[in-house]
This record gives sequence, C-alpha cells and structure tokens, in this order.
Amino acid sequence: MDNSASRSQSQSAPVIEVEGLAKEYRVHDKPEGLAASVRSLFHRTSRVVEALRGVDLRVGRGEFVALLGPNGAGKTTFLKLLSGIITPSRGTAHVLGHVPWVRENEFRRRFALVMGQRNQLWWDLPAAESFRLHREIYRIEPSRFTRVRDELVDLLGVRPLVLQPVRELSLGERMKLELVAALLHEPEVLFLDEPTIGLDVVAQHTIHAFLRHVQAERRVTVMLTTHYMKDVAALCERVVVITHGDILYDGSLADIVDRFTTHKIVTLDLDEVPSPARVARYGFPCEVRGPRVVLRVDRGRIAEVLPDILRDEGVRDVSVEDVPLEEIVAELFRSTRPRPAGAPAGASP
Amino acid sequence: MSRYLAIFRTFARACLVRDMTFRANFLLECLTSLGWMSMNLAFYLLVFTFTPEIGAGSGWTKAPFFAFVGTGLIVNSIVQALFMPSAEELTEMVRTGGLDAVLVQPLDAQFLVSMHRVDFSSFANGLVGVGLVAWAVPRLEHAPGPIAWLVYPLTILCGVAILYGLVIMLAAATILMGRNQSLYDFWFYLTNFSRYPAEIYAGPWGGPLRAVCTFVIPILLVVNVPARVLARPLAGEAWWAVATALLAACASLAVSRAVFQAALARYRSASS
Amino acid sequence: MSGRSVPLEPDRHVAPPRVLEGLRVWCTMLAICLEERLVYRGDFLLGTAMRFLPIVTQIFLWTAVFSATRRGDIAGYTRDDVVAYYLLTMLARAFSSMPGLATGIARSIRDGSIKKFLVQPVDYVGFLLAARVAHKLVYYAVAAVPFAAVFLVCRHYFPPLPDAATVLAFLASLVLSFLLGFFMEATLGMLGFWVLEVSSIVFGYMLVQYLLSGHMFPIDMLAGVPTGIPGVSVAELVQWLPFGYTAYFPAAVWLGKIEGPHLARALLVQVAWVVAMGIACRIAWQRGTRRYGAFGG
Repeated sequence: MDNSASRSQSQSAPVIEVEGLAKEYRVHDKPEGLAASVRSLFHRTSRVVEALRGVDLRVGRGEFVALLGPNGAGKTTFLKLLSGIITPSRGTAHVLGHVPWVRENEFRRRFALVMGQRNQLWWDLPAAESFRLHREIYRIEPSRFTRVRDELVDLLGVRPLVLQPVRELSLGERMKLELVAALLHEPEVLFLDEPTIGLDVVAQHTIHAFLRHVQAERRVTVMLTTHYMKDVAALCERVVVITHGDILYDGSLADIVDRFTTHKIVTLDLDEVPSPARVARYGFPCEVRGPRVVLRVDRGRIAEVLPDILRDEGVRDVSVEDVPLEEIVAELFRSTRPRPAGAPAGASP
Repeated sequence: MSRYLAIFRTFARACLVRDMTFRANFLLECLTSLGWMSMNLAFYLLVFTFTPEIGAGSGWTKAPFFAFVGTGLIVNSIVQALFMPSAEELTEMVRTGGLDAVLVQPLDAQFLVSMHRVDFSSFANGLVGVGLVAWAVPRLEHAPGPIAWLVYPLTILCGVAILYGLVIMLAAATILMGRNQSLYDFWFYLTNFSRYPAEIYAGPWGGPLRAVCTFVIPILLVVNVPARVLARPLAGEAWWAVATALLAACASLAVSRAVFQAALARYRSASS
Repeated sequence: MSGRSVPLEPDRHVAPPRVLEGLRVWCTMLAICLEERLVYRGDFLLGTAMRFLPIVTQIFLWTAVFSATRRGDIAGYTRDDVVAYYLLTMLARAFSSMPGLATGIARSIRDGSIKKFLVQPVDYVGFLLAARVAHKLVYYAVAAVPFAAVFLVCRHYFPPLPDAATVLAFLASLVLSFLLGFFMEATLGMLGFWVLEVSSIVFGYMLVQYLLSGHMFPIDMLAGVPTGIPGVSVAELVQWLPFGYTAYFPAAVWLGKIEGPHLARALLVQVAWVVAMGIACRIAWQRGTRRYGAFGG
C-alpha cells in the first residue's frame, strides 16, 4: 500500500479498526511435586487460555484512548496484536490501513510502541547514541531529527541525562528517554503499555503533561493501557474497559459513573451523634464516626432524601459525591465472570 | 542496503568502546580462548610424535594439518565474534521482551537478532589461526598458487555462511521454544564434528556419517573446503568441492531465513 | 541435686538426633534435585545423549592416527584401548567433575549469602558435600540408561573383565575421585575470601585439569615428554600430582594399565591427596571465615 494513499485514507477512515480480534494460547500445566514431575515426562496436560475473545474497536485520528483493565485482562495482548508483535487466532485489524502482523517496514515507520518497565533503548549505549541509531533505523532526515530531538528532550527536561549510559539511570529517567526515542520519528500512532508503572508521582505527572501536550500538538492517535485510574483521569476522555479478554465498556469516563452506579455518597456532619436506626432511614450507612455519617443513597431518591435530612437533623455540613472512579472500576473488574469458552459476546452487564 | 552497514558500524563501535573501557576483562577473555586453543595445539603436537599422518594416505601430515587447524580457527573466530554473542543473548531477549522491541522497528529482525553485538576478544583465536596458516604454508608440499589464494577467502566466507545459517536456525528454535540450554550445547557438539579433516570418517559407519555431514548438515564443508584449497593442488575434484561449498552456503542462508521467518510468525511474546 | 545436669529419669520427649534431622533434610534436597532435573525434560534426555557425541569424533580420529603408524600400540594402548579409555574417563568425570562448585562458593562469599552459614550451626563444607552427593545421585539415576546403552554397544572395545581386586580398586578410585574433585574445587572456591576474581584462578585450574587429568589423552602418552628434571618424564611427574586422579587413574585401573605394587602405591597417593585437600579446605574455611568476620562481610 503506497504511503500517500494510506495517509489520505486515514483522514476519513478510522486510524485503528478492529473486528472480532481474538487470541488464544495453549499453555502447558506446570507440574507440582515430584510425582507430577515424573508423570509430566510422559504426558503433559495443557489448556487453552483465551487472552482476547473477539474484540471490536474503532479509533479515529487524534483520539486518546485508555485501555483499562486488571492484570491478565488482555490489554497488553491487544496492544501486541495492534503493533504486530503477535498474530491473532481470529479476526482482523487495520492500523493506518496496514495489517499489523504483516510487519511491513512502511507500517513500522509510522507508529511507535513504548512498554513500561521494559526498555527498548540499547542498554550499553548512552541515550544519545540510541537516538542516533534510531535516526538511521527510521531514516529520519538529519535536520528534522535534530529539531524534533531537541524539542522533545527539552520538553521532558532530560538534556543532562542524554550522554549517560542508559543502565545507570533511574526508572523514571529511562521512561522519559524512551518516550523521546519513541517520538523521534514523529509517528502517527503511539501505543503505550503501562508507561507510568513503578514511577514516582512527580515522574507520572511530568509524563502525563508531556503526553497531553504531544498529542494535542501533533494530533497523534494514542492508545494507552493502564490499571491506574490516575492515568486515565489525567489523560483522556475515552475509556475502554477490558476484563477477561472482552470489552466491557467503551465510552467516556463521565458516563461510566452514570452507567455503573446506582447511588451517590452523602457525607453528613451532624450536631450530635445519631442513633443507627435514625440514620438508616435515609440510606445505607457505610461509616458512622461520632457525629460524622457517610451514607449511600439511591440516586433516584436523592431529591427526596436530602431535604428530609436537612429539615429533620441538625446538619453542620453536607456533601453529595459520586462513587469514586476507582471503586466503580474495581467493582466492574470483580463482578464480571469470564464467559465460557466459545460463547458469543453478549451485551455488557 | 548501506543503511544496514551504517547501523552495524554503530553496534560494533559501541561494543569496541565497551571492551576498551573494561580492558582487563577483555584481555582475560582473549587469554581464555587462547588458553583452550593452546591446550588443543599441544594435543595435536603430541599426536604427531606418534604418527606422521592423520589417516593413512590422506595427505594430512603435520603442515597440511596445521593449515587445516588454522583455517578452522579463522572461520570459527569470525562466527564467534560476529554472530554468536547476539544469538546467545536471544534467550534473554525473548524472556525480557526485548524481541518485542525488535519486531516493532522497521528493520530486518534477523539482522538485529544476529548482529547487534560483536565480541572482539574472539578475534584473538582468528589471529592465531592466521599465524598457523602462515607457519604451515611454506612447509606444504604443493605451494598454493595465486588462484588458490583468491579462492581461499571465498571458501572461508562460504564456511562462515554455512555456520551462520546454523546459528539462525538455533535462534529460530530459541524463539519457538524459549529457554533451552541444550541448544547451545548442540552447537558445540555439532561443530565438534568439523574439527578434524573429513578423511577420518572412513569405514562402514564413517562413510555415511561423512555423507550426512557433507550434504545434509554441511558442517564438514566449513573447514575442509578452504583448508583443501590451500593444502592440495587446486584442480579437478577440488573445484567440485568449491562448487558444493558455494551451493551449501546459499542453501544454508536461504533455508535458515525461511525457518527464522516462520518462527517469528508464530512468536508468542510470552513475557509480561 | 545442684550441679547435676543429667536428669534422673530418661526424658521421654527426646528431640530427634542431629543425624536423623540431617538425613531428612538431605532427602528433601534429593527430591528437589530430582524435580529440577525433570523440569527440563526435553533438555536432559537430549543433553545426556549428546554428551557422547564428541567420543564418536575421537574414535574416528584415533582410528585415523593408528592407521598411519607402523606400531600396534601407542604408549601401551591399542586403538580399542583408547576408545575404552575415553568411555571410562567419561565415567570417572561423572564422579569427579563439580560444575559450578568453586564459582558458586565464590559468588556466595561475594554477595554475602554465605553469612547465614557463619551464623547457623551447620557445617558449610558438610552441607555442600551432602548437596553434591544428592546432585550426583540424581544425575546417575537419570544418566544410567544412556551410559549403560553406550557401554553395551561399545563393549567390544573393552578388554575382558578384570578380576575382583581390580574391580574393587576401580570402585574405590571412583569414590576417591569424587572426594578429590570436590575438595579441590571447594578449596578453590574458598579463595574467594582473599581474592576478588576467583574465576581467573578457576580457569587456570580448568586448563591444567584439561591437560593433565587424562581428559584429552592417556597420561602414559606423556612418557616421552621430558620435564626439566633429568630422567623424569611428564607422565611420571603427573602421577604425584592430584590432577590425574580425577579422570586418568580410574580408567587406567580398569584397563589394567596399573597393576600390583604400582596400583597400591597409586591408590595411597590418591588417598593422600584426598586427605590433603580435605585439610586444605577445612583450613581455608576457618581462616577465611575469621577474616571475613573481621571485615564485617
């Protein structure tokens, strides 16, 4: 597929288009104990793990999508399929018009992958050498390379680190350099696999700001996997929740609250310590600490319950909040059960 | 493409810089390989005190035999220096996800996997090999002519290509099977067959073994053909040997590449 | 009553004696070793068989060497003798080779994990020895079949079975070679208390072993090689050094190359070296730990 044709196509068509993508692995069971070890010499049992079960997705140009899910949900598998590292068992995917696992050089020059806690920079070389290598590998024009590199290095404030061998740097410093390297060839699509894992708060913050800036400036389509809500809240509107290899939810962050919660949290500071029975009239008490009461109140009933409380109780302070995002998502992860193998994808619960 | 050459130069330069930084270690590694090699040379010298020739009527008397050994050192040191270090790292790369990073880059994966590291200390043996050849050639019965001197490096390259193909197939096996120590032992055991002139494989068992190691897994062509180009008059049958070596080199490269690509297509990326 | 530490009545709840405890620990060690071996199922089946491949090349090489000599034997070995010799040295080395022992000790000294042995009432050397015995037993169990198969196939290379005394001497030499190999490498490893880079020393040791243990060729073949000392060949010198007793000696005993008073003397020399290296190991441990403690690890 020639460059200009695929580029114009990507203006109108989705940048990432996935249909029925599935990946299964055959895993051998590890023997436990001596008897099992001997048996395993002659007969090994194995089972099929469905890492991804027929997933559909469409991402447009310039979008910033977060793939949220617990460990083992299939997020990283999904990303590896989209970057062409592995081939799927079933289904199709197109990124920038290319089929990723064909691994055309054309395609590989147009995207970048950054994996948290796993470095792609060459260990023994100082970052500057790695960048130079990158330039040769990606065929970046020298003057353009210098400009982009300087811009990125300054944005992340890593100029003093560039000449040190990569293995001497801390995790946060390395991640920043990885990001620089990834963006040197000005990719149109950026895949990030848990980029902030293991980093301190300051580093996370810097990287969030950097990603936001880069994405807005250069209209890069970004797809990021994470299990930190912080990343999601800081970076993007669109969230795709994956659990057990299925996409559970695909939409805006704000809508998750509406979609998945039935109640709100009401916190009351009362004049005097209430009796439990009294408090239970208004809602479900989560926490009663002295005069402070935290209640769960059904959303539909908030309009009636609140005036009652304010009228009948001595209230010093009241606040009404949504259930914290972390809790919603954690509950989502917990409550879903894996579909039996082979069953078709149904509507999300 | 010249791009690959430039990239390889960067890798080589980085390795050289590192070796020179840890100079003591580098020297130790040189001494290590020289040490083992000199033990073997002592053994050969001992053997020659008992017999004038390895294999009656084979022509491998002392001088030709040491030309053979020297040639073997040259070929093996090239492979040990340029390709083995990267191949040995492959298990680690597969385990840590480094191979993922390779697959994402717009560069041939086989090139990156087999050539991103250079072990300069392995060239020490090669230099000794050159020395042995230099010692042996004036003592040969038939001095090699100018054509022989042109064909010799060519056949050495064929030998390197055949071994490279084997390295790539080992790499493909590593990618498919994950960690597997016996694969590298396998390399040692396989190349062990090519340590001596093919003539020693004679007799009811030796004949078929020699055929298998010449035509199926052509390790016997690796050292024998170039050594023979030097030590024997280059005429008639010798040209057939050179042609076979060329053919084997091309086949080795082609087959190994196909196998490697197939392995990549089935890569599991089990890390993470 | 006062001052008496012995109870008047036998204590019913006696703790299991140290020996029984040790045995139990050792059995667990054995089970773990076995499990470890079995994990690499593909590996070990292939690996054990492949270990014999170099012998194939050696057989062909020596056949070629003999074909061009005008004598029937070299240093008293016929072609068949040489093949039998290599197989026997493989067996001997299965007893005496201690892969990773020296470097393992050096490493645990370097990274401090040896400290727990300084603190606990466990004899480190005894512990290592027990561990090695476990490893070896597992290895023999696993390698017995391929070894037996190879020896069976190659039995025509061997001279007729030796008499009972020789067989006993052979078995004794195997056990002694295990102990000798163990103590030599353990002592080397202990040098890690004084020297940072033990690996260079170990490498030097390996080189000398390679040449003088009989691994590459029967030591008798060095009978023509002079040392500086007049009238003493290298072969004669080597019989006073420990190296030959890890591979050459057991093989030579079985093949009947050393007999009668020579055999008795050689066995004594082997025992002497085992004792000497055992003592050296012990001294190295005591001096080394004292020094280690002084430096605070």
